[in-house]
Amino acid sequence: MTAEQALAGALQLAGLGVAPLAAGLVQTLKGRLQGRRGPGPLQPYRELRRLWRKSTVAPELAGPVYRLAPAVVVASTALALLVVPIGGQAPDWGLGHDALVLVGLLAAGRFAIGLATWDTGSGFALMGASRDLTFAVFVEGALLLVIVLAALAAGGSTDLTTMAAAAAGADVWREPAHWCAAVAFALVALAETGRQPVDNPDTHLELTMVHEGAVLEYAGREQAGLQWAAATRLWIVLMLGVALFVPKADGFGVQLAVTAVAIPTLCAAVALTETVLAKMRILRVPLFLGGGAALCLIGLATLLATGPA
Amino acid sequence: MIHRPVAADGWRAAVGEALAEGWRFAGLHATREDATPALLTVLTRGSDALVLRCRAPERRVASLVDLVPAAAWDEREAHDLHGWSLPGHDPLRPLVDHDVPADAWTAPLVGRDAYRVAVGPIHAGVIESGHFRFAVVGERVLHIDVRLFHKHRGLEAAAEGHRHTEAIRYAQRACAADAVTNAVAYAQACEAATGLVAVPAVARARTLLLELERLYNHVNDISAICAGVGFAAGTMLFTALKERAQRLNAALTGHRFLFDAVQVGGSRLELDAQAVGAARAELDALRAEVARGRRELAFAGSLQERMVGIGRVSAGEVVMLGGVGPSARAAGVAIDARTASPQLAYDGFAPAAPTVPTGDVAARFELRGIELGATFELLDRLLDAPLAPAACVGGAAGDGLGVAVVESPRGQSLCVVELDGDRVGRLHLRTGSYANWPLVALAGRDALLPDFPLVNKSFELCYACVDR
Repeated sequence: MTAEQALAGALQLAGLGVAPLAAGLVQTLKGRLQGRRGPGPLQPYRELRRLWRKSTVAPELAGPVYRLAPAVVVASTALALLVVPIGGQAPDWGLGHDALVLVGLLAAGRFAIGLATWDTGSGFALMGASRDLTFAVFVEGALLLVIVLAALAAGGSTDLTTMAAAAAGADVWREPAHWCAAVAFALVALAETGRQPVDNPDTHLELTMVHEGAVLEYAGREQAGLQWAAATRLWIVLMLGVALFVPKADGFGVQLAVTAVAIPTLCAAVALTETVLAKMRILRVPLFLGGGAALCLIGLATLLATGPA
Repeated sequence: MIHRPVAADGWRAAVGEALAEGWRFAGLHATREDATPALLTVLTRGSDALVLRCRAPERRVASLVDLVPAAAWDEREAHDLHGWSLPGHDPLRPLVDHDVPADAWTAPLVGRDAYRVAVGPIHAGVIESGHFRFAVVGERVLHIDVRLFHKHRGLEAAAEGHRHTEAIRYAQRACAADAVTNAVAYAQACEAATGLVAVPAVARARTLLLELERLYNHVNDISAICAGVGFAAGTMLFTALKERAQRLNAALTGHRFLFDAVQVGGSRLELDAQAVGAARAELDALRAEVARGRRELAFAGSLQERMVGIGRVSAGEVVMLGGVGPSARAAGVAIDARTASPQLAYDGFAPAAPTVPTGDVAARFELRGIELGATFELLDRLLDAPLAPAACVGGAAGDGLGVAVVESPRGQSLCVVELDGDRVGRLHLRTGSYANWPLVALAGRDALLPDFPLVNKSFELCYACVDR
């Protein structure tokens, strides 16, 4: 293991603790953009502390599937974090760095929550989970297409370190396919992290909830784990975006510097999107994600027409 | 006002005849602890009122619900609270009585993949108590059963026995957001019962208060519609404007919700030239801000896209269910009690209409914006001179029964007062929210489940109005 890999590994682990800060930053910026003072960026930590101290209550009908789900979500999210390289580097954690592994880990968390809602049979939770899983069909499809495009640019490898290396430098941006993939990724990222216009992470209107609905029954430490996982999911997607779709020069040091600037910038972009866009009608979401997928197919067509670079 | 006793066997015929003569149903209620219990139906035609009183010792009279579907809730309430039986109203589902199994008050649901989603009465935000049962297939709503009446306060009963000049506080507290409307309706009903007539200065003060109430409510409702689709920029902009309007209320009357600004038999509101001038300047500034905000929202595509075609009610449905206020006007039913309020300063007032009366969320949203324009015009005119306290003067002798209809931001509010000397014998209040709730349930049909909060907010009705 090189020194660079060790440093990247340390940063990956730091992400376990820093992730809620990004979610908090989005909250703070949203408040400011909307003319509110808003919560500070540390608010998610206060929430986690509050939930951690609370007792856990479960629905009467809750079985082992319900009780295990938060642990599965936390574990799969933590593992997913270790798959995504930082600055194009990552130590070998024994998981590999395959993009498909990442998609699978993210899906595993969602699947666990979906099963848990079936376990209790709570109306709201089932409603939220059924929406979440319906969206997932489109999110995962579009995300795979994005990965296929980025992988083709990397010579067909879906290893994220290889893909990140291929995405560095200026050459890759001469490919129309890469632009298509970048835009499609932005659309998918909003859906994957449950952000407006797809889902509203701050909503209190029960009937409109998607992710919040699915995890509605959880309380205390279980809820803390799920909130941490939601924040970390945002962090992972931001990191993935930086690794594959933020223009940068080659070299570990440069890439780390770019990451440090890009993360707050992307948080600001998310906050701006959530401020200027209303939540879309629920049946429009597949169309929205389908648009992302169509863009990927266009990108694929340009690659086929011109041949891989 | 015409007050006409009707025999129990001639009840339906009398109401049917009145409807044929062009009278519009305004409300139905039962008397309370009376030796011979009676049902009263109030109908209006222009600024005139017709009260039909049917005495029935057995508390049993034929239902009007097929003649006047709008009387459905009134009849169910008379059954639950006062023990009336109303043959012909079938099924007579419990409305106020909650101590019944769900089957008793919900429509039966059969079919593959159809299921129910129950929401409330406790919600995840600062929302009043309301329980909604949605019959859905997937995300599509088939039918909504609404159960309100969770916090009955007995306000109407509590008002009884108090001096009528003091009991105004019971009418006022029925609903904070329509406090002025209900207080003015109560005051006018008492004045009608005692034979008083408002002089122009009293009319001007009350109209000013009514329009200040409409201003902060309509601004709030626009903000609420934005909140219904998670459009935070619009929510925050109009919430801030509502705050400014409420601060103006406080500056003018000492109360952000304009409480205690209306009195029976006169007006104590006093505004000197300086106060009036400052209020006009602030209103001018608010008007410019509201116009700017409306333009911003008109160009917010993601917001506009959510509103069109959602929560549609037709003009026919509005007339059938007795819908009133902006929701009725947005569907093309041009009713507005302000056109028939000789005791208020609304001379030459014409009801607002949307560009196309589609009766959907977009039309209700647009209508509020249009009405705000008219409200600013009125306020500017009403504040052109200082305001001094004034008293009503004697007119025709009253017979102890008074009826008044006043337009609130949610539609007309009916107040019926029966005096016992100078004490209140019976107070009945039927607000615009009460009249419109059945319409909300209808408007939510065929919508997608996650669109219902938006539909509900486009009406922005009051839950407390039913818990009198």
